[in-house]
Amino acid sequence: MSSGFRPEAAFVSAAEHFFDLMKSFGAQPGAGGAAAADPAKLAGSLASQFEQWLRATQSAGPWFSPGAGGGSGPAGIAAAFSPGAFGQGPFNPGAVTPPEGQRSWELITQLAQVQAQLATHWHEIATSAASQFAARLGSLASGPPTLQSALKVYELWVDCAEAAYGATVRKDDFAGLQSQLANLSAALLVEQRKHAETLARAFGLPTRNEVDALYGQIKELRRQVAALGEGRATAAVHQKAQRQGPQRKAARRKGAQRPAAARKTVSAAARARKRRT
Amino acid sequence: MQSGADPRDFSDLGARIADTLCKLQRAAGVEVGCSAKRAAWSCGKTTLYRYLPLAGDDVAVRAAKHARPILICFALVNRPYILDLQPDRSLVRRLLEAGHTVYLIDWGDAGDGERCTDLEDYLERHLAGCVAHVLEAHGLPALDLLGVCQGGVLSLCYTALHPRQVANLVTLTTPVDFHTADNLLSKWVRGLDADLVCATGNVPGEVLNGLFLALSPVRLAQQKYVRLLAAGADQRAVEDFVRMEKWIFDSPPQAAAALAQFVRWFYQENRLLHGTLEIGGRPVNLRDIRQPVLNLYAAQDHIVPPAAAAAMERCIGSKDYESCAIDTGHIGMYVSRAAREDIPQRISSWLKARR
Repeated sequence: MSSGFRPEAAFVSAAEHFFDLMKSFGAQPGAGGAAAADPAKLAGSLASQFEQWLRATQSAGPWFSPGAGGGSGPAGIAAAFSPGAFGQGPFNPGAVTPPEGQRSWELITQLAQVQAQLATHWHEIATSAASQFAARLGSLASGPPTLQSALKVYELWVDCAEAAYGATVRKDDFAGLQSQLANLSAALLVEQRKHAETLARAFGLPTRNEVDALYGQIKELRRQVAALGEGRATAAVHQKAQRQGPQRKAARRKGAQRPAAARKTVSAAARARKRRT
Repeated sequence: MQSGADPRDFSDLGARIADTLCKLQRAAGVEVGCSAKRAAWSCGKTTLYRYLPLAGDDVAVRAAKHARPILICFALVNRPYILDLQPDRSLVRRLLEAGHTVYLIDWGDAGDGERCTDLEDYLERHLAGCVAHVLEAHGLPALDLLGVCQGGVLSLCYTALHPRQVANLVTLTTPVDFHTADNLLSKWVRGLDADLVCATGNVPGEVLNGLFLALSPVRLAQQKYVRLLAAGADQRAVEDFVRMEKWIFDSPPQAAAALAQFVRWFYQENRLLHGTLEIGGRPVNLRDIRQPVLNLYAAQDHIVPPAAAAAMERCIGSKDYESCAIDTGHIGMYVSRAAREDIPQRISSWLKARR
């Protein structure tokens, strides 16, 4: 189980989110009635909340990293593709100094640019979800608000949010940005590790390259051992067959010396077969 | 919606939240995996388990009746205990009840020592070792292989490479065509630099969790909790919920080399479908799979779209091919009502008909 995951924390977060949405819908005591009564204001409020949520998850880093609230975030693609997702770098960006850190700084700048581009998608998703919701709310908005009616409204909101999200994240440019984010994050980590390897070499410590090379050798040896084993097994089978050869011949000779009655039965059966054919 | 809601309409909401929260906290220590098993063989982090016959079974009779064991090959990216989550949600248990001998492969957690473990290692050392152990233990030339999700892909590769060792192949939610239009996961990883990812080392399970949840974030990270709240679930239902949560957030770390190969060869280059896949220098041709194949997939699967799984029919060489789209989602294939009743029964009767 992933360390730190607590379903109760995720539940509390979802419940809080539900409360916030209910406030926006005007279904919660103490909510601003004016916002709920005006569809444009309602859409604006929902879009703002949703975008905030998407941005929070976008910059959350790994799902269960310290400070992520033990599962309070929505995981999200950003968590999967964000810097740090593939492991911790040996240095903080601030610890890398030029000229060694030049490449790292370039990557960090590129990462920020990609994240800014992604932010426009979060905005698009949130705005689209809210306007779809406002357009579909219709009859659900009539009648006195109860918990059951609030849940129906919530389900509608989820449908709209997922539809808007799904429409955007399937676009090629969004997928391209996610790949860029992942590749840049990985490149940043690799770059930082290069610096660490330089230090390791300086202190005579084994490096990643050395370990990988050793693994390659072990794998090759393993292949050779397996091939030898297969060769031995084949040879053993061959030897066994050779040993059994004379025994089989002897057995055949022995069969030829079976009692006459037995030979007769066999030959009678053979004759019967011959007649049938 | 009218403004100025009556506070009494929502008066019990706070209490309901507190009550559900208490139940969740009480359920924190729920156990997963219910059937008795013992480790039969291991290789690195991989462990082969043999499930023990259920109490009261006449082992000898059953062994004679259904002699060929089933080896379950689960995915690398998730834990296999979902197949034996709890007594009333256990594919393994249903198969045991039907008299089958069941083995299951747990790939374990890839650690630093497994960083370079690749698909050839998993197939030709780990899976092949498991198969060899089962065959030797039962004195048989072939077993029945049940591949699940990514494990189904591994099972297809293994069967194509070692056709004599597999008598019957069953696949559950197994993608063959990774480029169907509705495959969002495939679209997202298409532009990944797999070598670069490999260079960063093993990929933490949290990354996979995040990826899977991101396919449908509002439903998976918000709605299900609100539904739990709205349902006013009792303690037992909350415990069932927490067991599922445990599994969902329990993806193991992935060996860098194997994951990079899987992303590149399957998701990016679609080699299995195109017949261009090679493992350890040997071509993997699905046309070489001529044994009976049962292909079960979910009609509403957001991770392995139905078309991705149904593509198998066009690629394999078997003349005894049967498939069925079950009306559920990806996880529903393991824990839904269909999973509890329909799927085990289908698998068991299909296998028994081919003994």
